[in-house]
Amino acid sequence: MIARDRNWLLIFAVCVVLAVLYPLFADGYQLTVIRDALIFGLFAASLDFFWGRTGILCFGHAAFFGIGGYIMALVTLNDAIPFGSLLGIAGAIAGAAFVAAIIGYFLFFGGIRGSYFTIVTLAMGVICQQAAISWSSVTGGDSGLIGIPPIAFDVGGMHVDLSQDLPSYIFVASIVAVIVLALWSISRGRWGTVLTAIQDNEVRAAALGHNAPLRLLVTFVLSAAIAGLAGALYVCMAGLVAPDLSGLLLSTEVIVWVAVGGRGTLLGPVLGAIAIQRTQQTISSFNPSLWPLLLGCVFVVIVFVLPDGILSIYARLKSLFKGRRQAQ
Amino acid sequence: MPPKACSRACASAWQARLDAMDFIVTTLLNALTLISILMLVGLGLAISFGLMNVTNLAHGEFVTVGAFAVYFVQSIGGSFWLGLLAAPIAGAVVGCILEFAIIRHLYSRPVSTVLATWGVSLILQQGLELTFGLGAKPVTPPIDGTFDLFFTAYPAYRLILIGIAMATLAGVVLLINRTSFGLDIRTVIQNREMAEGVGINTRRTYAIAFTFGAAIAGLAGGLVAPLAIVLPQMGVNYLANAFFVVIVGGVGSIGGLVAGSVFVGGLTSVLNYQISPSLAQAIVLLAAIVAVRLRPNGLFNGASR
Repeated sequence: MIARDRNWLLIFAVCVVLAVLYPLFADGYQLTVIRDALIFGLFAASLDFFWGRTGILCFGHAAFFGIGGYIMALVTLNDAIPFGSLLGIAGAIAGAAFVAAIIGYFLFFGGIRGSYFTIVTLAMGVICQQAAISWSSVTGGDSGLIGIPPIAFDVGGMHVDLSQDLPSYIFVASIVAVIVLALWSISRGRWGTVLTAIQDNEVRAAALGHNAPLRLLVTFVLSAAIAGLAGALYVCMAGLVAPDLSGLLLSTEVIVWVAVGGRGTLLGPVLGAIAIQRTQQTISSFNPSLWPLLLGCVFVVIVFVLPDGILSIYARLKSLFKGRRQAQ
Repeated sequence: MPPKACSRACASAWQARLDAMDFIVTTLLNALTLISILMLVGLGLAISFGLMNVTNLAHGEFVTVGAFAVYFVQSIGGSFWLGLLAAPIAGAVVGCILEFAIIRHLYSRPVSTVLATWGVSLILQQGLELTFGLGAKPVTPPIDGTFDLFFTAYPAYRLILIGIAMATLAGVVLLINRTSFGLDIRTVIQNREMAEGVGINTRRTYAIAFTFGAAIAGLAGGLVAPLAIVLPQMGVNYLANAFFVVIVGGVGSIGGLVAGSVFVGGLTSVLNYQISPSLAQAIVLLAAIVAVRLRPNGLFNGASR
């Protein structure tokens, strides 16, 4: 096992221990705050799985989050459908994956990469938000849908009801932990290696017999499916869904979470999402219009000062001290 | 004129034909208004995105800044025309600062450019909101009333807008094809290293071209201000559409710019009669995605490939 993998697993284990211990010290409100932040962390990890591994930036990832959320809301609000929660989650994942498959097919097999992909996905986010606003008979228009019930289902004779704070926290935290671990093992294995090869030089990777568009497409669909799952979870916890969930601001915020946490680390984006959301709530509590301004500054600062994310501060300090020691 | 000995049925048929002509001419002129604006906004993007390979997500804010310039000049008592003069200057100033402070350091890092320019766009939006306050800003057109065309009466200001846009575009074509600066730009686009080799300052050429594109987008914002809802967030709509104009039309030629604008603007105006504007917008962007898949090099360049 190489040192980088060991370090990653170590940090992951520390995070899991902290997540397990947290309910002992937190009250119900603090639990729900971290729970919601974890859902956005899952969303950030899904973007990082695609962006970090392929180097292609998706600027409309909130579209999948929103699609998942709306499907979940529509399924669970319809009393005629049995097993609402489970079917809703399945539908949310499938719906987001389906949309990603169609759009990804057109783009990847059309040879669209880099900036062009970014622009088209940006437009995709705009389209989804516009559709959510204008299709008001289904989506509730500008005000969205409210009264979405919490997740509840039966598994092996046991009734799981996530209307309380603690069970929902445990449920979300374990899903996030499992998925982040799974994404990590995919991306450090053969699949991730081939993706890195495609990112470095797609023509050469194709010459070695790898079907580059198909690999990118499957990665994109997987990433979108997880974003859809995150959307479905969020909608049930918040109890409402609104066009903002597929909007451009959320799409950009998730990019900041990934960029701050460190692209390609999967765990960093989750931590980045939690840290930034806590900051956002603190700042917004005394001036709501200040937040987008600060967000803009964060973008600019990241690009010039911290191109590899907050976790890179540690590596930089380490190399700085090493350099000093050698100089002495 | 209908013949004098016309029956009633004949007269109503004539009237129906006149109505149809009225509808067609109005639709065409509406489309032409939108196409003109898109061409002006897209021009700057064609320069930065198409030629310099810089993805500038703050381009929509040049439009916003131009519109706010007109509002500001009017609010302190100036005329619309003075505001229209200030709009491209405001766009150019913002564009010039952006190029000097951020974009020129990131030419080799495309993803970083996307992030940084988006950050600038958020900063500009919030800055405008903090300076001018919440809510839509009123901008009054320089002339009210309609101009009587043969088939229909059309708002006079929109005709002026189309005229100014066409004149600007013609001026740009002349600038690029007939002046020594235009020659520099064309040289830098074709081969940057070679251009440097023959003594062209490519950094300066890029900076001037970028500023120029920002100025034109500012002018577009000033022109559209009396027709649009002037908000700090208005730029995003123009941004997505203008990018599609450039992508659909294909980069590198004025012909592509025109083709892309006609595609996006024409489709939007026709659909706007049938369905709600948000749905029309969604369908146009979807159609553009499909068009990009079928013709990756652009509508205009597709034939000559």
